[in-house]
Amino acid sequence: MFSKTIFKQTLRSNWKLWAIFTAIMAVLSALVIVVYDPKMIQSMMDMVKDMPGMADMMGDRMDGMTSLLGMLGQSFYGMQGIILSLIFVIMTANTLVASQVDRGSMAYLLSTPIKRTKVVRTQALYLISSVFCMFMVITVVGLSTIQIAHHGLWGTDYTKDVKAVTEVLNLDKDAVADDLTLILNNEAAVKAGSEARGIKEDVYITYLNQKLSNKAYEAAAEVLGVNADKVSVDLTLIIKNEEALKAAADVMGIESAVYSAQLSQVMATEHTLSAEQSREMQTKFMAGITAAAVVLDVDPGDLATNMGKIKANPTALTAAAQAAALVPAETLPSGTSTEAIVEMNETAFLKIINGQLANDEIALDKGIAFSVKDYLLLNLGVFLLMFAIAGISFLFSCVFNLSKNSLALGAGIPVAFFIFQIMSQVSSSLENFKYLSLNTLFDPDSITGGGTFWPQFAILAALGVALYTIGIKVFKEKDLPL
Amino acid sequence: MPLIEIRNITKDYGDGRGNFDVSLFIEKGEVFGFVGTNGAGKTTLIRQMMGFLKPDSGSAAIGGLDSWNDSAEIKRMVGYIPGEIAFPDAPTGTEFLRRQAELLGLADTSYAESMIGKLQLDPTANLKRMSKGMKQKTAIVAAFMADSEILIMDEPTTGLDPLMRAEFVDILNDEKKKGKTIFMSSHMFEEVEDTCDKVALIKDGKIIAVKATREIKHNQDKVYKIEFLFNEDYRRFIAEAFEFSERREAQNQVLVNVHDNEIDRFTGVLKRYRVKFIAEIKYSLEKYFKSLY
Repeated sequence: MFSKTIFKQTLRSNWKLWAIFTAIMAVLSALVIVVYDPKMIQSMMDMVKDMPGMADMMGDRMDGMTSLLGMLGQSFYGMQGIILSLIFVIMTANTLVASQVDRGSMAYLLSTPIKRTKVVRTQALYLISSVFCMFMVITVVGLSTIQIAHHGLWGTDYTKDVKAVTEVLNLDKDAVADDLTLILNNEAAVKAGSEARGIKEDVYITYLNQKLSNKAYEAAAEVLGVNADKVSVDLTLIIKNEEALKAAADVMGIESAVYSAQLSQVMATEHTLSAEQSREMQTKFMAGITAAAVVLDVDPGDLATNMGKIKANPTALTAAAQAAALVPAETLPSGTSTEAIVEMNETAFLKIINGQLANDEIALDKGIAFSVKDYLLLNLGVFLLMFAIAGISFLFSCVFNLSKNSLALGAGIPVAFFIFQIMSQVSSSLENFKYLSLNTLFDPDSITGGGTFWPQFAILAALGVALYTIGIKVFKEKDLPL
Repeated sequence: MPLIEIRNITKDYGDGRGNFDVSLFIEKGEVFGFVGTNGAGKTTLIRQMMGFLKPDSGSAAIGGLDSWNDSAEIKRMVGYIPGEIAFPDAPTGTEFLRRQAELLGLADTSYAESMIGKLQLDPTANLKRMSKGMKQKTAIVAAFMADSEILIMDEPTTGLDPLMRAEFVDILNDEKKKGKTIFMSSHMFEEVEDTCDKVALIKDGKIIAVKATREIKHNQDKVYKIEFLFNEDYRRFIAEAFEFSERREAQNQVLVNVHDNEIDRFTGVLKRYRVKFIAEIKYSLEKYFKSLY
């Protein structure tokens, strides 16, 4: 099938190029992982959301970017990793066959009693295994980096506050992580937890409550056999199903009936707010931020991503609350004192800030939460893409006797695919370009975001196999000017 | 049965390039020269013998195996020097030869070493920076090192200096004594005349003639150039019953064709003339082939 001798010799003449590309790519992916800061990314996303134009431009990609894997998928596996491995594949495929025929040095391989098919099959094997090993190294380096930089790999992932609380309560980490009410019900625990996270206690409580209710939704979703997101959008699903309600209530540490009442209340407040009203609220809130920014003499944009500053400064808070005037004056009973109004506004404003800060903390947890399986799938996907693309370059390397012709198509087509994919992402009017690109079949977002990807993987693998087979056959039967 | 059989091979590249109905038969132990100008189709034929090109029609067979279908099997018997010198990526000549031995499955490199000695090659030099002659020597060693019974060489002496060319001819003669079959192309007549038993001339892709060099060397039709002292002798001599291929009255010179069995009469006649000088014009392969052009 293959010639060990030729493989060894090919390896000896080509390993340097492989090593250089692999090293650069491994370092790049490691850097992307190291610099990933979930808090920062989350605030960036919040900012982007506030700018409608920007949000449109970012489109679907925005959701994927908040988690580490989503971020990797957008950057390394969407751009640098693809370009670099593309260059490597194009160069290597050409060197392995066409360039040796063009120069005439292939004569020395073929004037030995090794069959032509065996020679070219061995070259194909080198190409495939070099790409495979390349992503293998990148995967191992990536996993190690994630473990070292974010500790998010092996064993259950405990957040800082859980670890701190564990000591205060003298309990098992699992027990605390499973039942956050243990923290909520213990003042010392709340104090320790908030300190460990480096946030205010009220924010921490909001965070714990949000996390609890998320967990409750998840528990209910599990019973209902649906997605947690679906449950959180339509809470009646829980209320209607007794078992789901019980599961969720257990998580919250309360009776089913009490939880049901809570849910109804949440629904009531949410339903009263129309889309227009919530937009109005948003505008009011931004006005408050702007007012606070003036007091603090900072950029409103910066402040929006760091709302803790408002809490720290009472003057800023008052200014913000007054500017925002979140509590509509007409809803207040007449004769309410100005101080009371100010105080109510401040409370409302604080509530929103706390909610936002708690959201940031949850995003932080999510960012660290890292699925090894998804990461491996990401690497498998990029390998399959490169396997197919290398098949294209290899086919043309086998077809042509001149390097320039082999490169014209063997490099031209993969580069065109890459450009088409980029174009399709730039603007929705160019979206149809994605149908012209093989790269579309490797979509990091659907891997990390739970979309379908196995059929695409299968197509890439089948296409690659076909391309190599045709290349080998063509080379076996063509005339060689040696 | 001939060891190498080329039967009615045609490989048409258009514009009169390629091979057209070429047939050649080379016996075991024969040294066969293949001469033609650049672009006459020498390399095309050799590439078909090696199984690199597929003939449009006809076939080439070595040792009873088809060159195209059994090309890998044939390589067990054949050492090959390509027409163009382009080595694979290897740092030094030694490393290249070592890798080549590996591909050939050669355990014993003593033969290669003796070749290196004979050719005075320093294989430790950087392969890419070698001079043309050194590269050619390296290619020769690579082709000879398996001690194959058949050697197919496309212009093997290009780039070699005259001394080395002579050394190469010696090596070929040694190989021939060992009973090897050698097929080499060349565009130099003297070279093939010195080494080959048989020579084929190819022109525009067609074989024009195949000639045994022995026939050339032992040619009995000789040509003599005679210059007379006086014009009157010249005039008298041209009236004699000989076959004159050329008359140069201004120099009092004639070229006379004399078969060996006429030589006695020829010298007898000459005694009656005042001759300034007489010389035999050597008959060569080149002359023979030129006469066919």
